[in-house]
Amino acid sequence: MITFENVDVIYPNGFKGLDDVNVEIARGEFVAIIGLSGAGKSTLIRAVNGLVPYTGGTLTVGETVVDPKNKSKLRRLRSKVGMIFQQFNNVGRISVLNNVLIGRSAVTPTWRSLIGWYGAEDKEVAFQSLERVGIVDKAYNRASALSGGQQQRVAIARVLAQDPEVILADEPVASLDPPTARKVLGDLRRIQQDLGITCIVNMHHLDLARDYADRIIGMRAGRVVFDGPTEEATDTVIEDVYQRSLTAEDIATADFPVSLEDLPAEAVAGVVAGEPDRKP
Amino acid sequence: MTAVAERTSAEAGPARVTRPEPPTPPLVNYLGLVVVAVAAFAFFWWTRDDTSVLYLPLGVTTLWAPQWPLIGFLVMLAVLALCWFTRTGVMAAFGALTVVIFSYWAGSNIHFIDRIVEVPGRLTAGNTREQLIGYFNPDWSYLLFSNVAGTSRPIWGEWLITLCMAVVATIIGCFIGLLLAMLASPVSSFSKTSSQTVKAINSVVRSIPDVGWALLFAAFIGGTAYGLGALAAVLALMMFNIGIVAKLLGESIDAVDPGPLEAADAAGANLLQRDRVAVLPAVMPSFVSYSLYVFELNIRASAALGVVGVAGIGGELSRQIRRMSQGYENVGAILWALVIVVLLVDLLSMWVRRKLL
Repeated sequence: MITFENVDVIYPNGFKGLDDVNVEIARGEFVAIIGLSGAGKSTLIRAVNGLVPYTGGTLTVGETVVDPKNKSKLRRLRSKVGMIFQQFNNVGRISVLNNVLIGRSAVTPTWRSLIGWYGAEDKEVAFQSLERVGIVDKAYNRASALSGGQQQRVAIARVLAQDPEVILADEPVASLDPPTARKVLGDLRRIQQDLGITCIVNMHHLDLARDYADRIIGMRAGRVVFDGPTEEATDTVIEDVYQRSLTAEDIATADFPVSLEDLPAEAVAGVVAGEPDRKP
Repeated sequence: MTAVAERTSAEAGPARVTRPEPPTPPLVNYLGLVVVAVAAFAFFWWTRDDTSVLYLPLGVTTLWAPQWPLIGFLVMLAVLALCWFTRTGVMAAFGALTVVIFSYWAGSNIHFIDRIVEVPGRLTAGNTREQLIGYFNPDWSYLLFSNVAGTSRPIWGEWLITLCMAVVATIIGCFIGLLLAMLASPVSSFSKTSSQTVKAINSVVRSIPDVGWALLFAAFIGGTAYGLGALAAVLALMMFNIGIVAKLLGESIDAVDPGPLEAADAAGANLLQRDRVAVLPAVMPSFVSYSLYVFELNIRASAALGVVGVAGIGGELSRQIRRMSQGYENVGAILWALVIVVLLVDLLSMWVRRKLL
């Protein structure tokens, strides 16, 4: 479904975001990408829908080769590739329904979008998407009036309204509290399985990745350093990905935030004595 | 003693804590600033064009100095001394010194102090005194019941025309301004080139003042107060509004949260759809707020535009001012009414803004 062949991303400032990435993701797979900040997780995800243009190799989604230079081709590709963000990225001032209808942009004539008069079919799709994530009763509320978990569900509904073949999720639950994070991720997993959508998700929390993903890809410095089914992603393997031993924060979600007792003694002493946590 | 101080003294007891001192700025830099002040003093002395001197008999000798440059120099030194004792940073002290130097330079070139001391004398004698008396005894019957000289149109009708001019200009100007703001911001525009081009056009539109536009349009389409005058005024106000709205709203669009834009992009929306669904809702409150502000400005500006012979109450105002020694009560009535109308519009727009946001 999605094929990376020797894909490089070099940012305009010379930073190498992806370095010779070779990955093949099958239709209907749920893949979690793990790695430290700056390892290239977001770059990998954003290369798929062209939000970050790749600079070398070949990237194929379905039958189409992603071409970052061809704007209209890119729009056609994006209409089938939905994306979910850490900060939800809903438009706060308009209704939940209108937010979901943004997902219909690619199939709605521009004049309809401009005057805000969507067709009955588009509305029907939007309502079905809202039903799927279970917040159809909030359809006419302002998006900004919703809680974090509900806002992320609106974002998922917006993506579902695209009738996507692929869903990209960039840290989808990092802004949510742990129980909500599990619920939202569980919803995403269920919908993905129901509709047979290929799903690539960036994660910070190992236990979430292990509980929900079919397959885990570990990244370090723009390279794929681990790629295998979830069972094979043992602590030793992950420690190799992170290049350090795992800490409580890496694994914990249910008992996050970490209490003072979980921290090493010297760190606690520093906090109590009021030492600055940053060097001037 | 405050609660915080009591608490700390109770806990800390008699033990003294050493607190950090504010850093002293280097003396040599301040001496440099004194040199700058001396140089400015020398320049002002060299270029002075008045002959007033300070004459100071000190017993052993008499000291005399050009009055204004010396006073300016003393002010500069006083500012530097104040900055030194409050341990102000050198750059801030330099800034304060610069303000003094520039205000002296600018004020002395237009003889500001020399002229302003004459004002009290003028206020109590002659024509100025009559004017002031007229302004404070407005002739309300003129405002409510007379007609514009030589016509059958009542004066209060001119107010209606002013209001209508402001409404038309605001509505058309703000919508064009919205479009230009969208085109001017790199966030919502087609490309960097189109954004730069529209920004340049906006700067040109903004650089011509409202009275300038009114003069231009009055010259193009005829500037009599009857008939075409209203059109010239509306067009002038429109250009004025386009400039303001395009500038302010363009900056609001620049600062819009990029997240929803990215989401719209990722959903496959084209540029127009993205601007409509993600940019417009985000800047709508600013747009309404700027439009109401622009409406207030239009009421005010239409009074000034009367000077170039356009319609509305501004035209009547300038006709009455031109009557010289006869119209002061009438001018007073118009000016007071203008204050009241502007205040009312202000209150109204504040109320609408509160309801909308």
